[in-house]
Amino acid sequence: MKIIEIQNIKKTYNPDTVPVRALRGVDLEISKGEFTAIVGPSGSGKTTLLNIIGGLDKPDTGTVNINGTDVIKLSDNEMINFRRENIGFVFQSYNLIPVLTAKENVEFVMLLQNRDSKERESRSKSMLEAVGLSDKLDKRPAELSGGQQQRVAVARALAGTPAFVLADEPTANLDSESTANLLDIMAQLNDEEGMTFIFSTHDQRVIDRARRVVTLVDGNIESDVRK
Amino acid sequence: MLLKIAWRNIWRSRLRSLVVMGAIVIGAWAVLFLAGFQGGFVEGYVRNAIENQVSHLQVHHPGFREEKKIDFLIEGIDAKVAQLLENKTIKSATARTIVNGMLSSSKGARGVFINGVNPNTEPTVTKVHETIIDGDFLNQNKRNPILVSKKTAEKLKLKVRSKVVLTFQDKDNEILAGSFRVIGIFETSNAKFDEVNAYVVKKDVDRLLGFENQGHELAMLLNEPDSLLAAQEVISALLPDLKTETYQEISPDVRLFESQIQSSAYIILVIFMLALIFGIINTMLMAVLERTRELGMLMAVGMNKVKVYTMVVLETIMLGVIAAPLGIILAYLTINYFNKKGIDLSAYSEGMKEFGMAEMVYTTIAPSMYWQLGVAVFVTAVLASLYPAYKAISLRPVEAIRAI
Repeated sequence: MKIIEIQNIKKTYNPDTVPVRALRGVDLEISKGEFTAIVGPSGSGKTTLLNIIGGLDKPDTGTVNINGTDVIKLSDNEMINFRRENIGFVFQSYNLIPVLTAKENVEFVMLLQNRDSKERESRSKSMLEAVGLSDKLDKRPAELSGGQQQRVAVARALAGTPAFVLADEPTANLDSESTANLLDIMAQLNDEEGMTFIFSTHDQRVIDRARRVVTLVDGNIESDVRK
Repeated sequence: MLLKIAWRNIWRSRLRSLVVMGAIVIGAWAVLFLAGFQGGFVEGYVRNAIENQVSHLQVHHPGFREEKKIDFLIEGIDAKVAQLLENKTIKSATARTIVNGMLSSSKGARGVFINGVNPNTEPTVTKVHETIIDGDFLNQNKRNPILVSKKTAEKLKLKVRSKVVLTFQDKDNEILAGSFRVIGIFETSNAKFDEVNAYVVKKDVDRLLGFENQGHELAMLLNEPDSLLAAQEVISALLPDLKTETYQEISPDVRLFESQIQSSAYIILVIFMLALIFGIINTMLMAVLERTRELGMLMAVGMNKVKVYTMVVLETIMLGVIAAPLGIILAYLTINYFNKKGIDLSAYSEGMKEFGMAEMVYTTIAPSMYWQLGVAVFVTAVLASLYPAYKAISLRPVEAIRAI
């Protein structure tokens, strides 16, 4: 079942001054349960592609169909609601809410989804348990290591039961042990719960674990390899 | 959760929040204290005017206050005093004969209002007897005693027991003169009043004028000063041929002073709000701009603009809601303290006396001023939050997330 269908998307930044053609006609389909790495050198367009898949940016031309919705037609507010219900985000620099505890951070997206408090309570605990942080429920981000923060971010991304999780260079700030740990967790969630993960990464360790590697060069897909 | 996040956010930059809250506390305190000080000032002025000069209500012949004609008399004045005292709203009453005359000594002369008062009942209405700085208050047993002010005494080189001559006209425009002896020297806190007033025993001046059970003025104090207008109506009905006036009508300067002080308190409040609004905008703008990435993330994961906007507004309101009550409590305590102890302004009393001001100011404030200030801080906080909140929702998540 395809959850992402992208056809011929193009994106140019600064079209009137110094045009930067970030994407030059990309086609991509991603099915449920895939564990995909989007790789490529800096400036290849992978972040732009990820932003478009994540509904944070819109292409100049082309179509983007996510989970059955043509997201290009959505207004800003509709897009926010769409992201909330369909997409889990993991950011390079964790981006947790610093004033909330790990559990509250995980609960936050469910709160935005208006889920009831009992469900929020039990799901946030089970998500943190799934990422191995059941003993850190009441710690604030500043009290956690980078690896632990990123695991909280994964738990938060999954808590809202999204259609897929987008992770923008999730291991960029992590040491080897934390990276291996995080990848184990994501691979396990992919295996056991069929959660779809899409990463953008430079990290060979992530590329090695990915089951599909899409390589972008100069705004075009150069290769698309399934392992 | 939104409340929880907003609450915790304001403590992220503890020092900055404390500084802005400190500004609100001090500002709120200053506005209220200043209003309390001004209130005390006005009250002191009004109290002085009531206690030393006009009392709460006065009754005259309808034309007397305008022309001060000696034959604009109240007939049967003693019976009228007794009649007034039967009324429960009236605490005390006294009758006066007032003539415009000349006070002469061997060193010079000056024009004065000669107040013929009853030495027994006058102290129940005014506090002139408490302002004696040398000698004694009027005494019916002495022959033709007179009270002069310190200013008059200095100008005419008078002392207690000095002899003076009062000259004035009677009903038939005949010049009358009487010899009086200074029994005491008074000094109120109103220099202008002191300059033009002297007191004699009513019977003495009545005898010279040929008055029998007549006079020009009935002055009275009320049991409930707040029921001034109601009491005025009652007395007007009781004495329909005479004119009953309140102290505000008799001394329009009191009313003017009251209204000006009130409006100046509001002007200070508006200036405070303006200063506060920019202080809060600055703080909240900093708070928003340094959280660009976080706000971008919140919108990325699905927090809609209404919620982001509400969060920033809530943070701002919380700053005000914590600080304003502290400022109000502090002001309440200070105003109450100085309401009992008073603020001694005797160092400036010479200048103040010229305007009839008291040396001690007992701070006082209308209770409504406290909640009005609370509302003003709340409104200011809401207004000040609008721009930073607008800035927050104007961020584009895709750019904000990558902000350094």
